[in-house]
Amino acid sequence: MAVTEATAGGRKDAATRFLWPSLAVPGTAWLLVLFVVPFYGIMAVAFSSQLNILGQPIPAWNPLNWDFTVMGQVIDQSINGTYRSAWEHTFIYTGIAMSVCVLVGYPVAYYVARLARGNRGLLLALILAPWWINYLTRMLAWVGILGDEGYANDIVGFFGFAKVDWLGGQWYVVVLALVYGYLPFFIVPLYAYLDRIDQRLIEASRDLGANTFRTFFRVTLPLSRIGVITALVLTALPMFGDYYTNTLVSNSPTTVMVGNSIEESIQSGFSRGQGASLVLLLSAVLLIFMAYYLILTVRASREAR
Amino acid sequence: MPFDPSSPDRAPQWRPQLHRRDVLKGGAFAAAGLGAAPLLAACGGDDGNSPAGSSGAYPLARPDAPVTLPIFDDNQPIESGLQPEKADALRVLNYADYMAPGVMKDFQEKYGAEVQVTPYNNYDEMLTKISAPGAEFDVVFPGPSVMSRMVYGKLLQPFQQSYLPNLKNAWPEYQDPWYDQGSQYSVPYTVYTTGIGYRSDRVSDPSEGYKMLWNPEYSGKMGVLDDAGEALGMAMLAWDITQDINTGDPELINAAKDKLNELIPLGVKVDITQYETIANGKFTVHQAWSGDMIAARWYLAQGATTEDLGYWVPESKSDVVIGNDNICIPKSSPSPVLAHTFLNEVLDNQIAEKNFNWNGYQPPLDKLNAEYLIDEGYITENLMSAVVVPEDFATGIKFYEQTPAVENLYLAAFQEFQSGGN
Amino acid sequence: MTTVGIDAPGAEKTWDDTGRYVPPPAAIKPPKKGFVPPWRNPWRRPYVLATITWLYILWSLVPVLIAIQFSFNDSRSRSSWNGFTTEWYCCGTEEGSIAEGTSVFGAGANDALLTALQNSLTLGVVTTLIAVPIGTALALGLTRWRSRTSNVANAVSLFPLVTPELVLGSALYLVITTLYTQIGLGRNALILGHVTFSISFILVIVRGRLVSIGSEFETAAQDLGATRIQAIRTVLLPMLIPAIFASAMITFAASLDDFVVSNFLFGDASQITVPVLLYSAVKAAPSPALNALATILLMGTLTALLLTYLVLRLRRRGEGGSALDDLAGVEM
Repeated sequence: MAVTEATAGGRKDAATRFLWPSLAVPGTAWLLVLFVVPFYGIMAVAFSSQLNILGQPIPAWNPLNWDFTVMGQVIDQSINGTYRSAWEHTFIYTGIAMSVCVLVGYPVAYYVARLARGNRGLLLALILAPWWINYLTRMLAWVGILGDEGYANDIVGFFGFAKVDWLGGQWYVVVLALVYGYLPFFIVPLYAYLDRIDQRLIEASRDLGANTFRTFFRVTLPLSRIGVITALVLTALPMFGDYYTNTLVSNSPTTVMVGNSIEESIQSGFSRGQGASLVLLLSAVLLIFMAYYLILTVRASREAR
Repeated sequence: MPFDPSSPDRAPQWRPQLHRRDVLKGGAFAAAGLGAAPLLAACGGDDGNSPAGSSGAYPLARPDAPVTLPIFDDNQPIESGLQPEKADALRVLNYADYMAPGVMKDFQEKYGAEVQVTPYNNYDEMLTKISAPGAEFDVVFPGPSVMSRMVYGKLLQPFQQSYLPNLKNAWPEYQDPWYDQGSQYSVPYTVYTTGIGYRSDRVSDPSEGYKMLWNPEYSGKMGVLDDAGEALGMAMLAWDITQDINTGDPELINAAKDKLNELIPLGVKVDITQYETIANGKFTVHQAWSGDMIAARWYLAQGATTEDLGYWVPESKSDVVIGNDNICIPKSSPSPVLAHTFLNEVLDNQIAEKNFNWNGYQPPLDKLNAEYLIDEGYITENLMSAVVVPEDFATGIKFYEQTPAVENLYLAAFQEFQSGGN
Repeated sequence: MTTVGIDAPGAEKTWDDTGRYVPPPAAIKPPKKGFVPPWRNPWRRPYVLATITWLYILWSLVPVLIAIQFSFNDSRSRSSWNGFTTEWYCCGTEEGSIAEGTSVFGAGANDALLTALQNSLTLGVVTTLIAVPIGTALALGLTRWRSRTSNVANAVSLFPLVTPELVLGSALYLVITTLYTQIGLGRNALILGHVTFSISFILVIVRGRLVSIGSEFETAAQDLGATRIQAIRTVLLPMLIPAIFASAMITFAASLDDFVVSNFLFGDASQITVPVLLYSAVKAAPSPALNALATILLMGTLTALLLTYLVLRLRRRGEGGSALDDLAGVEM
């Protein structure tokens, strides 16, 4: 195939040899200027040593001028200091939220992808719906329901319990909000993956006498491992960078996550350097997830070629 | 988009003037004698004598060391006698709910410009927004504690006084205030005290004062202001750490931070919507500005009355934290004449009264004195503690402008508290 | 394939002399007549899973319906129901009306809400118009152009997809306030930011389609005398249209949905978008007018979605597969 293409291209019009690269240029240039350079900008701010009159760091674009004082402080405070509880909350909340995502999301994705028959289209539309509804609208909905006079307390009251201060900085509300917010981002990619598993393998297993559970645990689950991992990575990344969900349903120092610390300090003057350093640390943590995901994707796209 | 980091037009708006390490080292050199004649914000290697504009140093105004802010060659007042610009919008940088929508609507009807408010929660945020490249605002509301910085950072423009005849309505002390002698950059907007707002129907003993916040009885139902100085200063006063809420002593600031951290297990919230949240019952006690509690009557939940609102400040006038906010015109204003007009309108007795009726913050205008406001029924008996009179400023505790180093100590401590302590 | 778990519990695997698998006795036993326990029957209806799925769907959508309900609440509260009114949508003009000066449309409207709605829609359209051509070209280029450079470009172009918005947002914020100061925070910054996060997923969607098409069609066209550019224009692009259309829809929706990047990059109130407004208002003093605004936005998205679905369905006729699958095929 490649040969045909090359000869065809060479014969017909040599001038279009640069066609493919030139098509890729605008996009690549865009991402260089507005993604790679900005990322370098974070480093320039985090490693800056000069402040202006308002106390804002002046970025050190030249790596020779980099100063790692602030970064060192932030690392120190992340281990045993200011940012420690923020990191702890981040890992614990996202950890629990991701487990719930697997426990709830897998059965749903599995059912819609493999078992639903007549109403599959409807189900698909319904599980895709949250994907299309504005995230903040969905959170806004919960803020109303969980309010002091909201439906949640009506239900609690109906069973004779005392009112709960849902929005007063409860960690489980933050976790539930995260699950609610990001579960669709887990289900949809997993659905797409499960949908492609060869039905014949599953039928074979059943025909050979394995019961439902056995088929699931020995055939379907191993086959969907990569799908689950992909979906988990795609859910984990935004969750780690989330701050607004937390602010909306808690807004209390008791549940602060690292995203909150970043957002607060980046947009403030004095602690912008700390904020930038935290972004770098967070990126380093997430790089593990990202790299794994990218390797999977690149491998998959190479196989598909 | 090629860039040359060293090219001058790429360079940030201000020259480097502080080495971060100096700032991080803390207030070692910052606490140096308050009250000495116009203090200069210290900065490494700068003698503070270099002409303003090229230097980053800025004077620290104090009531006993008033400051005349300079007018720079490249930042002159506008001409007099111009007509207000025909602009679509007047861009205001302000706290949320700090100006009556009715007043802004009236302005729009009169001058055709829609008043658009971009909100901030504290001065740090305000400074970030106003100093962002490309930011264009017509009106901003800073307090004395950021005035010098903003003028020396060339964020504000000097007034053309001829557009501000209504300044004569203001209390005499605000026609020539200590932080801006000659009112060259600022006109007064409001005066207020900082205390504790509470629901008197739910609080057992309001005389606990600041310590109500630390009372576990109200856990999950209390909060502090989202403002480093106010929150830490309150902790200092509540626990007798010091009476000097402008202290640059890191140990005292840390002690105050530790006290704030004690609030975290009690489920403290950090925000500035107490005027609404106390009134609607979400909070029982919250650190509050006096104006918030007067405005709270507009937000009462069904069944609650103004009788249920309370505001506590210390008995002794000399223990009360008192302050004022100004209105200024940013240098970036695309419609400076319109902005002057807006300031003048806000200083108008009638308009100011309408504004006060909505936002609850007393304007320091002679006609709208405490007696008048009480007679008119704006302030109810149970909220008398929220009234401010000019004499209070002589005795009360005020926030002053700080050196960047001290400022940083406060912000860092507050961020630690907001990040969940440790 | 022989390793897939087919052995019965407790039984050793056995093979006969020819290597054929001998099922353990349990497996050859004829099933008992009459009742078959559900876990023994692989073809039973999956009631448990169906229940979980429907419960999930209820849980995911009912709160949104409740939010819509409260946009009609005859009280300032967003959590306790007080009767029906449409004043939050329009014309809370009368003195003393609960929605006075705060409804979305009409004379008594809060201009900020309408401004935000206009800003969001404009931003969505502009972002789509810029990002889709760039992203599609990038997909074409990177899929067909094979070299070391393209591999690097490939990796770079995938990174924005997996970078949390918080990181992207703060990076853009810092660089626009310090280096690209000519741009300044505001409309232009918003457009640049939104296009940046959109390019990558347009790339992924279009490339997915490109890979499944293969290059045979182009080659055939070229063999029949078309130039390469003609081949792309007349053969490849028409085949890509569903993918381009779907990615345009998703770009538009993602732009409307974006909060984090917008919150970093908006300059002042005149450039605020709906999500930023919702966020700051929920933190300050929320009223049902916000629910009304969110409902309007939701209706807008649903209409656009329905249109896309119908268009895709029309094109799909005779091709097999469903349009919904096209929309769901966004495996990022």
